[in-house]
Amino acid sequence: MKPEDHAWTRLRERGASEISPGFADRVLRAARAEASPLLVAHFAMCAATAALCLGAVLLYHTRVSGDEEASSLAGWSEIAAQASDLEQGI
Amino acid sequence: MDESSTTTLGERVRRAQRGDDAAMRELIVSYQRRIAGFIYAITGRSDSVEDLAQMVFVKMVRALSRLKAPEQFESWLFRLARNTCIDHLRRQKLRRIFTPFAPEHENLPEPEGSVDGEELDALRHALSQIRPKDRALLALVQEGRSHAEIASTLGTSVAAVKARLHRAREQLRQHYQSNET
Repeated sequence: MKPEDHAWTRLRERGASEISPGFADRVLRAARAEASPLLVAHFAMCAATAALCLGAVLLYHTRVSGDEEASSLAGWSEIAAQASDLEQGI
Repeated sequence: MDESSTTTLGERVRRAQRGDDAAMRELIVSYQRRIAGFIYAITGRSDSVEDLAQMVFVKMVRALSRLKAPEQFESWLFRLARNTCIDHLRRQKLRRIFTPFAPEHENLPEPEGSVDGEELDALRHALSQIRPKDRALLALVQEGRSHAEIASTLGTSVAAVKARLHRAREQLRQHYQSNET
């Protein structure tokens, strides 16, 4: 046995004596407390992402349908003008 | 550790992985003293042992489900403890750079004679003179970790571990003896 081996044993015992009663329960409580805010943050992140996607889809839909409506209206106006010209010619 | 105790440990780890709170608690209780001793050997500060041990075990609880080989639990846990201590010492060193005179940020070893006898003081003094990574290496050996396990923990070869261990032991012996004389 080396001279420091006994000292190592005492060193480890000294460290071990720092653990106070109820340590395991405190660890489990702390682990649960840490997990909960993370779970909430995770769900909040998911909800924010979903809202952002929905917003983007709605914006795209509004723009595309607005453009289509304008183009249809322009088409109808042209047809109406042509029909009016034809009526006057007859 | 014999085969039957490894099997028992493996079974307990599997139960804890399946969400069995009692098994998780048993794991903490079985290792809390060894981990605390290991942390004290690396940090040299008794006032931070319990906080660091709590950090280690909280990490263990949260990461246990990802451990693929339950039989290697022990070596995995000591790796977690070693990395937590090294990170803690690194953060303290960084804090000291920015606030060098704040007493709460000082990581000075406890004054000799303040806690135990001469023999323990000599070892604590010798450990405080060598690098934290070498302290961790020596503490891992004291915990019965094999050279192969340590090599896997440190991501290096067994030969490199043996060489580093030899150097660390030499340094420790020099400081230990100089303190005793």
